[in-house]
Amino acid sequence: MTAIAAAPTGALTRRRVRTAAWSVLAAALLVLLTGIALGTGQVSISAWDALRALVGQGSPGDVLVVQEFRAPRVVSALIAGAGLAMAGSMLQRLFRNPLASPDTIGVTGGASFGAVLMLATGASQQLIPLAALGGGLLAALLLGGLAWRSKLAVTRLVLVGLAVQQGLAAAVNLMIVRFPAELASSAMQWTTGSLYGRTWTEVSIGGTAIGLAAAAVVLCQRRVAVLDLGDDSAGGLGLDPGRDRMWLLLLTITLASLAAALTGPVAFVALAVPHLVRLLAGPPTLGTLGLTALTGAVLLLGADLLVLHVIPVHGLPVGAVTATLGAPWLLVLMIRQGRLPQRSS
Amino acid sequence: MLRTDPTASTAPATPRRPALRQPLLLAAGLGALVLCAALSLALGSRAIPLSTMADALTGTAHGGDADVVTGLRVPRTLIGLAVGAALGAAGAVAQGVTRNPLASPVTLGINAGASLAVVAAIYALDLTRPAQYVWFAFAGAALAAVAAYAMSRRGGDLDPVRLALGGTVLTVVLTSWTSALMLASHRTLDEARFWLAGSIAGRQLDTLTPVLPFLVVGLLGAFAISPALNALALGDEAAQSLGVPVARIRVAGGLAVVLLAGGAVAVAGPVAFIGLAAPHLVRPLLGNDHRWLLPGCLIAGPLLLLAADVLGRLVVRPSEIEVGIVTAFLGAPLLAVLARKVAR
Repeated sequence: MTAIAAAPTGALTRRRVRTAAWSVLAAALLVLLTGIALGTGQVSISAWDALRALVGQGSPGDVLVVQEFRAPRVVSALIAGAGLAMAGSMLQRLFRNPLASPDTIGVTGGASFGAVLMLATGASQQLIPLAALGGGLLAALLLGGLAWRSKLAVTRLVLVGLAVQQGLAAAVNLMIVRFPAELASSAMQWTTGSLYGRTWTEVSIGGTAIGLAAAAVVLCQRRVAVLDLGDDSAGGLGLDPGRDRMWLLLLTITLASLAAALTGPVAFVALAVPHLVRLLAGPPTLGTLGLTALTGAVLLLGADLLVLHVIPVHGLPVGAVTATLGAPWLLVLMIRQGRLPQRSS
Repeated sequence: MLRTDPTASTAPATPRRPALRQPLLLAAGLGALVLCAALSLALGSRAIPLSTMADALTGTAHGGDADVVTGLRVPRTLIGLAVGAALGAAGAVAQGVTRNPLASPVTLGINAGASLAVVAAIYALDLTRPAQYVWFAFAGAALAAVAAYAMSRRGGDLDPVRLALGGTVLTVVLTSWTSALMLASHRTLDEARFWLAGSIAGRQLDTLTPVLPFLVVGLLGAFAISPALNALALGDEAAQSLGVPVARIRVAGGLAVVLLAGGAVAVAGPVAFIGLAAPHLVRPLLGNDHRWLLPGCLIAGPLLLLAADVLGRLVVRPSEIEVGIVTAFLGAPLLAVLARKVAR
């Protein structure tokens, strides 16, 4: 942080320009991929016509196919990708740990637990996202309750998060073993994260909620930036670091749970995207948060395109693809960082 | 991170502690283990009176109950003893070698690696019996351990929090690959999901015999390096200046962990938390000296495993819960408590 303050303003401007350039590129890629995703399928439509059909222009047949069948899936991929990436970026900053993500602090386990429990009771499909949201918040409750000891220390949060994740994953595992084969298969499909069978109702409710949570995250950025300076400095600047971190964490976990409720806990988007953005545009600021959201949306949509049109396995969940692509890159990143001398963190 | 008592490792400096305490505690633990094994033979969906059990073991009784004891519960208990001992010892060595109280076969990604290898083998090669899984489980465990170790190095030294998180990330990766394979084929899903829960039920001794040599070698290795682990607890440089070949001890320890934990996974499937819990249970009782810690874990491991197995048989009688799920449920709160301790 001191390095940034000491740097000449030229460096800061250059970083802003770079962030803006990458954001424009990501936005262009987003539009292109959206067009391709809307146009590809059993009925082939050109990307341009597909985008026009999305806003209700063009032949009625195209409009029907695009608006009713393809758009819900594409839109939910975009929303969930953006939400997961923003949540991951926030978690890594709040935990001051490059490996914090919904996968490692228990949100994934909680959302899976809620959804699989709902599958077990045989309730209707519409209730599953609600149950996943509830599960994610349950994980937040467990995390806060177990890690709380007069204040939230970061290391303790990280390690307690691991415990919460493993405990909830055990509960999910128990149900998968107990289920009949058919139900076990759909439970695994859900817990890996997939985009099949999204409806406009789900997308509009989920999208509104994620939008609100994301807006709240953006409004809190100033506070997060102060927390980035370290608890002592933040305290000196008039913040109560423990309490602020708790509220920000709750907000972030809500965002991650909402995204997980829409698509299931898609692995590695939340973990990998913030690292990618850091490589492209430097340390996190308000500007890079927008780039983070765009990148998350592009990556999830791209992974879904691979699932639908490139990989010849029927019914593969998108989470399997994001993990397969994201994991090796992240492992290499970790191993390479291991060679560097220890940074003070 | 690990609060070790340096005086415990320099043996001449500790004449204060009565020499009888540790052997007595070990004997008490052994007694508890025998009791637990007897319970494991007697309890289950069908409770068998102790007299019938004794007759069956000596070969004087035959028929329904006696066959249950000799045919099902004796192999199950023996496998439980071997797997528990291997996991306990693996946990003690892993925590000693990495100087990290959170290290265990699970946090090192060994279980997830073995799971992926086994599921891939089931998918590609149509395997159907746990006895066939052994070699794949071994290979997967070894590869995962190497990867976790490579990730947790930071500027040449091992970072404990990094190791725990790196292992978890590795586990997430391997688990999603495992799920993808299982979703691609219903046969694999149905075949593998029971093995993946971690269980010692329904296995015959022929699952254990091919692994036994590896467990023995791993155990001998663990005993051989246990004095050096005491020196290692003082820090790499201090150990080096005491004449301990640190790098070679690390490699030997890692190898022992892979042999022991890999063997255990190969027999029972991924059973969590025994390796983590056993050393933490033993340390307050016997102290930090690895020469006592290791035998202590050899008793505490099977004790925990058999107790969890018996518990799993009793809670949902006449059905049962796999031992791996019971240990995971009991272990998560334990990990939370440990995390609070480690992070002060």
